[in-house]
Formats: sequence, C-alpha cells, structure tokens
Amino acid sequence: MTGASARPGAGLDWRPAWLPEINLKRREEIAAWLFLTPFLIFFAVFIGRAMFAAVQMSFYDWHALRPSRPFVSFENYEELLRDDVFWFALKNTIVFTAMTVAGTTVVALAAALAVTQPVRQANFFRVLLYMPSLFSVGAVGLIWVWLLNSQFGVINYGLSFFGIRPVNWLGDPALVLPALSLTTIWWAFGFPMLIFIAGLQGIPEHLYEAARIDGANARQLFFNITLPLLRPTILFVTVTGVIGHFQVYGQPFIMTNGGPGRSSYTVIFYFYHTAWASFRMGYGAAVAVALAVIMAVVTVVQFLVISRRVEY
Amino acid sequence: MNGNIFRLVVLMLLAVLALPFAAVAQDGEVTDLGEGEFKVSFWHGLGGSDGATLNEMLVNFVDENPDIGVTAELIPWDTLYAKLQAAFLAGTPPDLVLMHASELPQYASYGVIREMSDWYTSGGGWLPDDDLAPSTYGGMHYDGVLYGIPLDNHGMGQWINVDHFEAAGLDPDGPMPDSYEGWVELFQQLTLDANGNNAASDDFDAENVVQWGYSVRQYPRVIFLAHLAQHGGSLVSEDGTTVTVNSEAGIAALQNSVDLVYKYNVSPVPAGFNAWEGYANGALSVLPAGTWFLNFSRTIDVNSKAIAFNQFGPEPAAWFGAHTFFVPAILEGEKLGAVETLLQWISANQGHWAMSGQVPALLSVQASLDPENFPSNIVMGASFADHGVVDFSSTVTAELYRTGLEPELNAALNGQKTAEQALNDAAERMQAILDRGE
Amino acid sequence: MAMMHRRRAWQDRFWAYLVLVALSLFVFLPMLVVFSQSLMTNMEVTRWPPQIVPVNPTLFNYNDVLTRQDLRLDLWLRNSMVAATGHTLAVLVICAPAAYAFARLRFRGSNALFAILLLTIMIPSQVTLIPNYLLMRDLKWLDSFNALIFPGAANVFGVFLLRQFFMQIPQELEEAAVMDGAGYLRRFTQIVLPLSSNALTALAIFVFLGHYNDLFWPFIVTNSLETRTLPVGLTILNSAYGMQYRPMVLAGAVLSTIPILIVYIIFQRRIIQGVTLTGGMGGR
Repeated sequence: MTGASARPGAGLDWRPAWLPEINLKRREEIAAWLFLTPFLIFFAVFIGRAMFAAVQMSFYDWHALRPSRPFVSFENYEELLRDDVFWFALKNTIVFTAMTVAGTTVVALAAALAVTQPVRQANFFRVLLYMPSLFSVGAVGLIWVWLLNSQFGVINYGLSFFGIRPVNWLGDPALVLPALSLTTIWWAFGFPMLIFIAGLQGIPEHLYEAARIDGANARQLFFNITLPLLRPTILFVTVTGVIGHFQVYGQPFIMTNGGPGRSSYTVIFYFYHTAWASFRMGYGAAVAVALAVIMAVVTVVQFLVISRRVEY
Repeated sequence: MNGNIFRLVVLMLLAVLALPFAAVAQDGEVTDLGEGEFKVSFWHGLGGSDGATLNEMLVNFVDENPDIGVTAELIPWDTLYAKLQAAFLAGTPPDLVLMHASELPQYASYGVIREMSDWYTSGGGWLPDDDLAPSTYGGMHYDGVLYGIPLDNHGMGQWINVDHFEAAGLDPDGPMPDSYEGWVELFQQLTLDANGNNAASDDFDAENVVQWGYSVRQYPRVIFLAHLAQHGGSLVSEDGTTVTVNSEAGIAALQNSVDLVYKYNVSPVPAGFNAWEGYANGALSVLPAGTWFLNFSRTIDVNSKAIAFNQFGPEPAAWFGAHTFFVPAILEGEKLGAVETLLQWISANQGHWAMSGQVPALLSVQASLDPENFPSNIVMGASFADHGVVDFSSTVTAELYRTGLEPELNAALNGQKTAEQALNDAAERMQAILDRGE
Repeated sequence: MAMMHRRRAWQDRFWAYLVLVALSLFVFLPMLVVFSQSLMTNMEVTRWPPQIVPVNPTLFNYNDVLTRQDLRLDLWLRNSMVAATGHTLAVLVICAPAAYAFARLRFRGSNALFAILLLTIMIPSQVTLIPNYLLMRDLKWLDSFNALIFPGAANVFGVFLLRQFFMQIPQELEEAAVMDGAGYLRRFTQIVLPLSSNALTALAIFVFLGHYNDLFWPFIVTNSLETRTLPVGLTILNSAYGMQYRPMVLAGAVLSTIPILIVYIIFQRRIIQGVTLTGGMGGR
C-alpha cells in the first residue's frame, strides 16, 4: 500500500546546480508526455474515438444498413427505462456477478493458501489448477453443456449414485444462473489464484512466527494476519472480477441461448440481441452505455467500501 | 538529455509504426492462394451434413470451371447475420451469400442485395419461373421484384425409431394419427419408465422415464408456426399491421406442446435436454426434425425412418423455408458473371443437393428423385407441397422472432409462464416492433 | 514447543492436501471426460450410461480433425500464434513507457488521466466494435493480421499492472543513475526495464492468453481460412460438426489447448514472481 501521499517520482528531485528549477520540472513533464504519446495515440484511435462514436450512436435510430438514421435525442434511453427485459437482464447480471465473484474469490483463495503450504508437487498443482483458464469460452461451454445435460449429463449420472434424482441444471430458472456461475468459477478461478499466491508470498514470514510464539492458532493467524494483509489483493481480485464478469456473454450465448425463457439473459447478451441480431445499433449502443455507467458506479462504490477498511 | 528522450520516443514511434507494415508484408504470403482473377467469395451457414454436400458440389464446380475459384466460408447462422451486417455496412460484402427466404425483405429493403429478375426466364434469363412452387417463388419477391435464387425447400418432418415402434406394438409403416388425441396416445405408448410401464398405464412413474415418446426441445419456433396454422391461426393479421399470435388458435397451438410435457409426461422438459443425442442413444422415439437430419441419421446406431410432420390441429400443416442465394447490389462486371455462372451451375445440379436430405427447390428436380434413394426427401417434400406453411415475410421478421416470439415460447415450454401469458407478452413486444416498423 | 510446532505444521499440510485434492478433482474430472471422449467413437459417446474411460481408445478423431479438407488446424494455430505474439509485443511496447510515466514522472493531470483510463476498463468491447470495424475497412486492414494485432494495443490493464510494479522498484537505484548523468530514457531502458522482466513476462502471458482465446472480434474482421484464428476455427468446427461428431470437436479442443498449455508451463514460475513483486497489485 503506497499511501496516496507518495506521489510518483517523489525523491527524484536531484538536479545539477546550474539548472534552473523550472526547467527541470518542465523537462520532466515533457518527458512524461513523450513517454505517454504512443499509448495515447492508440488509446485515442481505438478506444476514445470508438467510445465517442458509440455514445453518439445511442442518440440515433441507427439501423446498421437502413439508409436513414434519424436523430431521436433521448428516445433510446427513455425506451430503456421502460424496457422490462433490460432490467431483468441487469438483475440477472448482478446475481451472476455476485455469485461468480464470491465463488472465484473463495475458491482462488483456498487454492492459493493450499499451494503455498509446504506441500509436495506444489508446482504441479499450480499448473493443474490453472489449466481450465487456458480453454476458450467456446470449449468451456461445449464441455459444460454436456456435463450439465439434464438426462445424459455426467453430473446427474454421478449424483444418481447418491440417490439424487436428475437435476435440470440449465432448464430450471432458479438453477440456471448458479449453473452458469459454477461453470465460470471452474473456468476463471486460475487468474485470481495466481494473484493470491503472489499476495501471500508478499506477507513476511516473521509476522507469523511472532504470532505463533504468542500462541496463536491457525485460525487466528488467518483472520488476524493473512486476511487483513491480503485486503489490497482482495480489492484487486474483486474489482477486476466484477468488471470482467459483468460483461458475461459467451456462457449464456453458447450454453443456454438466454433461456429458459429469458432466465439467463445478461446485459451484454441482450446488447448482442438488439444490436447484432435485431440490427438496432442505436438502441444497442444505449444499452451498452447504460451498462458502462452502472459498472462505473459499482466499481467506485466497491473502492470506497473496501479501501476504507484497508486504511482503517 | 532532452535529445535522449527525443530519440527514445522517435524510436518507439518508429517501432510502433513499423509493426503494421511488417504484418502487412506477411499478408501477401498468407492470402496468396488465388486461382485466376475470378475468385468468388461465398458465405453460408450450412453446418453438418448438408454443408459437406455443398462442399462436394463446389469441388465439382471448380473442376468443371477452372477459370473460376470459390472460397466458401462456413459461418454459424447466429454470427453470419452480425458479420454480414458489418460487411455490408463497410461495403465489403462477399460476392455471394446463402441465407433464408425469410430474410429477403429485410436486406432488399436496405437496397444492399441485387435484383435478380434478369436471371429468371421471365426477365430473359435461365431460371424457369414456373419450375418453382408458388410459395417458394412468392418468397423470392420484395415489392414485386425478384431478389433471390432458391436452392431448396428445407422443412420439418419427424424421424422415428422403428425398433421402439415395433416394441410398443405400433406399425412404423402404417398411417399416422391425424389428431392431437391420436398423437398423444401414440406418444404415451412410446414413453416408458424404468420398470417398462408406458405413460398410459396407471403404474407409470413419471419421475423415472427412460424412453420419451416425443421432445418439444428443438426448433420451437417453426413447430409453433406449423401448429398455429393447423389451428387456423396466423402470426400477424392479413394486412400485416396487427400481431395475432395470442389468438385462441395460437394459445391452443402452444398449449398442445406444453401439455405434452406437463400434462401427459411424454416429452422431457426441454431446457438442458439434447434431443438429437436423446434420439441417438435410444431415449427418444419420435424426434421432430427436418430434412437436414438425414446424414446424421446415418451415423448413429438407430433404425430410423422419416415421416411427415405431426398434426395436432384440425388441418395438416408443416413448416418449410427456402435456402436462398443473394448477391450484393454492388457486384458488377466479370465477377458478377462468375457468380451467375456458379448459380446457374448449382441450379442445374440441384439433384446432387438432394443427397443432403434437403428437398431441391426446382419442381422438375423434385419429380426426378427416386423413392429408393430419397425416401425422406420425398415424404417431407410431398407434405410441404400439400400443406406447407412458410415464415412471416416482412422487413422485421428477424427481430419479431428473436426478441419477441422465441424467448416467450421457450418460457412457456419450460413451464415458466402459461401459454396464454407467454403469447400475450410476445404479442406486446411484437406489436411494438411492428409499430416501430420500417 | 517444537513438538507442537511440528504437529501444527502437519495439520496445516493435511488441510492443504485436502483442499488440493478436492479442487484437483473439481478441475480435473471435466477435463478427463473431454479427453477420454475425444478417444471414443461417435457411437460410444452417445451411449448411456456414459463411459468415463474409453473401452477401445482410438486416435481416429485426432486424425480426422487434422486431415479434413475444410479444417486447417495447423494454419489456424499459426495465425493465432502470429496474431497473439504480435499483439503482445505491441502491448508491451506501448504500455511500458506509459506505465513508467505514471509511476515515476510528475506531470499535471497525472492522477486525473490515470483515473479516466481506469474507468474505460468498464466499457464493454462490443460497444466499440462498429466504429473500429469501419476504421479497419478504411485502413484496408480487414482480413489481415493488423486488425488482430493493433486495435486492443492500448491496454489499460497492462499500464495499471506495470505501474504498480515500477512503483515498487527502489528509487535509490534510479537516483544513482541520475548521479551518473542518465536521462529518463536510460533510467527507463537500463534500470527499470531490466529489473522488470518478471512483471513484463507476467503481463505478456496474460495478454497472450486473453488474445489467443478472443473470439468475437476475430470472427468479424477475418474472412478467409488464411487469417482465421484457432477459436474462430473451433467455433466453426463446432457448428459444422458439433451435433454429429462431438468426439472430433473435442479432439480439436484438446489439440488447441496443448500449445497454450506448453507456453503456460514454461513461464508459470515467472508469472507468479512477476505478480508478487507488484506488491499484491492492490496498492492504492
């Protein structure tokens, strides 16, 4: 935690005595902008410009191929406010994201704690546990649709040995989001696991030793040392997790096509439907802009909540 | 020191700028597979067995026409529309694309696809207008102008497991029922629980079914359209302005399918069930599937037979559509000539296309199919000719289907909404789409 | 005391093994199923109850997926490798100097600019698709590697990660160089970059993996077999044959994962070291 007070570059104020101070500062500033130039060019061309165009698009009745594109000002946004499907998709997205981020964080932390113990073949486990993350979403969807199949799926087959009747994972509106979430946890916990491993290795061993001498047990060590010192890592993992999983689209697209009914519609899935399958680019752009705004709010709230606790 | 920074930045910019050129240099090597100047780029969404037949045909074509190359690209249907949209928008469409007749009005209204009247004999061309069934021919029009060249009639029938029929004491070759009650009875006899009791028996254990009579899983939209027509209903009123999907006929049509799952227990809950796989491993006796199922039926261990689509309402009806070739409006010159040559060749070789199981579009080719080799094409083709129904034709059909109708059908079939509620909700969204209109 | 310590260590390890075994099963079983199905015939995979281990394992599907005329896994793999490598290099070249500026140099608007950049991570990439597609057309980059390499090169996440890392490098090292009269260029290239090889490797791997598995954009901008990437090819493979020939599709999925697995195994230690030194990446 470099506190907000440690300004980048502080302590580099050395300069030859003959050089006036203003010059030095200006030089640093010029250097900074020059270092930034390539990045900013690419950023402006491929992200900034494109985002501007997207926002602009959201104020038009912009069908990709229709010759006329009337300006409709806020009509797309007004429609959005009244659009039950958008709100329903947003609710689904939030539920999915909450389950998936919580699940990946817990699984990743457990995995990281386990592989940083002095176990044999820790490296083997690190590779194995990361392997699902190497699959593309297409392959993951293909595998899990088949595993979760209501009648012929391996999971239900396994459960049948415990006397459990076939569960319709992807067909039950109450189970479909948890099932997609489980799939995603399987697929995506590898990255946060690496982050947690790194975070755990950054905790000085002497803290544990000191606490052990004071008679702390494993639980106390975890809750009094590990968890507090991992807070910045947890912040990072949950913030990037929320940003990533909020944009979920491939899993419902491949595994359920949004069903049953609209039970696994997510916002980006809906965006795809409106913009690409129904050709309503303008309205789709409004959906996407709204999503970006909502995500920005969520992220800022997350930062405020967690970082306050970090600083005590 | 300033010089150093400057040098660094120049170097980095040069590196960044050089990269594109380095990559461009590689392109030449990669795309240098051209065969002559006429290389037709062709996009289609035909996966599986029918796609393989198409590729065979293209190989034959290139053999016979060495001066014309073809790069055929399979793009899954869902993605094809997105990609095509972007390509038309950018003015970089393929030279030829295969889609469905139901998409014709939309693209024609955008003015991005070519008028084809001059390729039909009525306009001095080579494709005989009167060799097409009226419904197919009608589907090639938008605003009275011809815009497409049909390849086939692909539509719905049913594939039955002959062994299951015989085991249940049913005659797979006999006449099939012509009423909902008759079909329910048949499905009940084919639906077995783990103890071997069928769904009509009092001891039937609905929680433990090992063999299903029927499945409402696949193709819900086209099945609904057929049942809707069987009950005398339509998607939209005659004048094309009012959505009538939630009419009594519509509700009755959807209720028929819903009841097969929740009242009669002869179909599994659709979501999470793979009907093709169920049929392949003997857990499903009657699979509603189309002409395109033929080659798959040959790769599996099931004694299969194709029959016409079921009849739940008072009148028979079976959905079918037409795979249709479109050419972008901007295509011209020798490239256009090459595409015309290709389409002319494909039309002349539609008999080969029948090997895929699809019913050729040309009536003369349909008539030439022998019952020995093409039983499924013939039985389904006859049903399309006799009582076929086609998609609703409008510039917003895709949107009506994808955002209005399909999710609601899915909700009803999965027991989330009543048939009436689902269709009322569908009607509301579809009406809004129609009203927003052109 | 020592006895207790040992018992506690044993207990910790017991729990660690328990967690590892449970998680390994969770991770491994689906992959085992995929792998063993890729060794089965078409008839075997549709059999019920499902077979976890093939009775007569066959390499037929692998042969099939590699020799079918309309499938070019070799080409697609090469394309994916070229595109992902090019993209990764572009990200490093563009993002590292920017991260250095944010980490070490003082300039007006630094914090505001950084915050704006972070906010843009929240923009779903689909939003920028149409404008970027039109740009690709104008640059004549459609169906070329350029379209796969450059559009995402301004990687904000990369800047964030490297900035965190650069900030951990002791200032004294740079100060010493300043005494020797080194300018910003030399400090960056001769001190900061060499000390950051692990972080650069970690970023490179994440970027590479992400790009290697990217689907929607390559789908839209590539048209020909010759520029198609592996995930696009696999999706086409699945839609063409998924219903009928699942074992063959699974064989394709297995084959496509092997190269990336090798890359990961080679670099996996460096990734963790790279991430470690960014101080848990959560700072600030």
